[in-house]
Amino acid sequence: MPDVLLSDTIAMELGAQEPWPQPIKLYQPYEVEQILLPDNANCLAVQAYLKMCGLEFQIEPRSNAEYMSPSGRVPFIQCGAFLVSEFDPIVSFISSKGSSLSGELGATDKADMRAYISLVNNVLVNAEQYVCWVDQATLISVTKPRHGSVYPWPLNHLLNWQKQNQITKKLNVLGWYNKSLDEVFGEVKNCCTALAERLEGKTYFFGDEPTELDALVYGHIHALTTTPFLPSVCGMSATIGRFQQLIEHCRLVNTLYFKKESDISVGQVYLHDTMSQDSFCNSTGSLESLFPLTEDSFAMLKANEKNDSLEETCHLDLKEFVIG
Amino acid sequence: MNESFQLDVWKGDWGLPSVDLKCLNILVYAKFSGVPLKINPTNNPFRTPNGALPVLRCGSETLDSVKDITAFFRKKNYTADFSLTPKQCAEVVAYDTMLKEKIYPALQYVWWVDVKNYNEFIQPWYAKALPFPLNFFYPGKFERQARNMMESLYPTEGEISAIENAVYSEAQKCLTLLSTRLGEREYFFGPHPTSLDAIIYSYLAPLLKAPLPNPALQNHLKACTNLVKFVTRISQKYFPDICQEYERKKAEESVRKMRRDSENEFPHKKRNQFLAGVFATVAMVGYALSTGIVEVTRNDDRMLEGPPDYMLEDHTRDE
Repeated sequence: MPDVLLSDTIAMELGAQEPWPQPIKLYQPYEVEQILLPDNANCLAVQAYLKMCGLEFQIEPRSNAEYMSPSGRVPFIQCGAFLVSEFDPIVSFISSKGSSLSGELGATDKADMRAYISLVNNVLVNAEQYVCWVDQATLISVTKPRHGSVYPWPLNHLLNWQKQNQITKKLNVLGWYNKSLDEVFGEVKNCCTALAERLEGKTYFFGDEPTELDALVYGHIHALTTTPFLPSVCGMSATIGRFQQLIEHCRLVNTLYFKKESDISVGQVYLHDTMSQDSFCNSTGSLESLFPLTEDSFAMLKANEKNDSLEETCHLDLKEFVIG
Repeated sequence: MNESFQLDVWKGDWGLPSVDLKCLNILVYAKFSGVPLKINPTNNPFRTPNGALPVLRCGSETLDSVKDITAFFRKKNYTADFSLTPKQCAEVVAYDTMLKEKIYPALQYVWWVDVKNYNEFIQPWYAKALPFPLNFFYPGKFERQARNMMESLYPTEGEISAIENAVYSEAQKCLTLLSTRLGEREYFFGPHPTSLDAIIYSYLAPLLKAPLPNPALQNHLKACTNLVKFVTRISQKYFPDICQEYERKKAEESVRKMRRDSENEFPHKKRNQFLAGVFATVAMVGYALSTGIVEVTRNDDRMLEGPPDYMLEDHTRDE
């Protein structure tokens, strides 16, 4: 018998002995010009979870966050001597310190919650990866420029190629690579139906208090509905947009924990992220590679003219992220 | 309707109707929902549309994925989920993905990547089950697929033992969750079996029943007694023939083995006992005689006395 559970227990014991180091530092890629859809969703989920727990944290954007992380995936938090990466380990690490959102739940509810977390982690994350790395239009016009934006010339192509290989291999093994875009939307729809059924008109998934599932679902729904790059992503956000309950849930978490006006609305394409990109690019003027992308997406999205108010929100967002 | 459903599957063993997870899922689901199936244990993934069993043939339709087949059954009005609420259906979807995420990699690991299991048990089993030229090809292919899966799921881990630990720990946590979720109930949603039970059974039963040489994960499952009972209950209720036949065969096997063992230990038991008896008797009698505890009196004198008389008489007569 390999000593799996023993090593888990030891890690937990060690974690529990340490006092709370304040504040927690959350490392992630640059939100404006670098981060990709799946990573963005995960980062948002972790941020939401930390906020729901009422913990102070600082966002530390790093261009090489992916390579700093112990598991090679973002985001990760630094908490005293510990580096913990990804949503699930972060949640269990924080609960070993005594603040958990799901401690009150019964055994059955806890098992159900794990099952739904698996559902989101599999279906939504794989769909996001698929759109980013398999869908050719998005891959060429969004993913590659963004993922390679922080590396110098030959390296950006090399790393893009490496990452693409890694992701395609994984999607192939999981049986997602050979799906068509419509099949992927179908999977997303099934997942959203299941989540909406579980929500059943309640405020949160399990009773009146948020749990880690709420944070995770918020992260993904928010990222998917506010990142309109190309028709493939728009198709996905339109699919999600049909589930009014999920949109409401997302909006609620947004206003309660992120203290900003939600810009999610159904049937309209959201310009939040594109805007922030635009404003960022204008202010720095250093990322030429992104210009064609923004223009493309603007054309695609028939950008409306009231940019000013949105830009303001975006600047506020940026400030908030820096302050935490 | 005079349709007949034909299902090509991997053959069964160890008291299960099929050793393969997906085939098992369909077989159990069909039993739950009462679909009349004609089962062909072909063991031949070569003559299938996508190189994978199970394959359902019904008239002109040929389906080969669990999802399509269950959807097809539902279209034909065979379903096990009629009593579920939409919320419970959502749970079925959620648990299905959880099992696929947590337990499937572990099963693949136990079956194909674990060297001891693969060499001593899995590879010989499949080599025997598959028809002649294919048996050189498929076990290796499945092994490569499983290794590929481990590499792509844990791209940053170089050591196979680290991957093993991670995979087993995920699976164990998941088994524990399932065990608490089931509690003391008969099935996951009360007294009637549903498609969720079919799914969970198909993941757990092979792991529980296969006589694996390296039973690390199996032992954890055996420790979750309610899950063991759950699997046994479904086996006995829905596949009583296969189950009993296997039990009988196993009992016979063990009796034969015990007999053979004792024979092996003392190959000429009867002869040795007899010889030992003879030897002991001879030794004791010899000792008794030599020390004079028992004396044999000779009556030779009288015997010797007799004939001379006759001889004398004869002599006198002659004379």
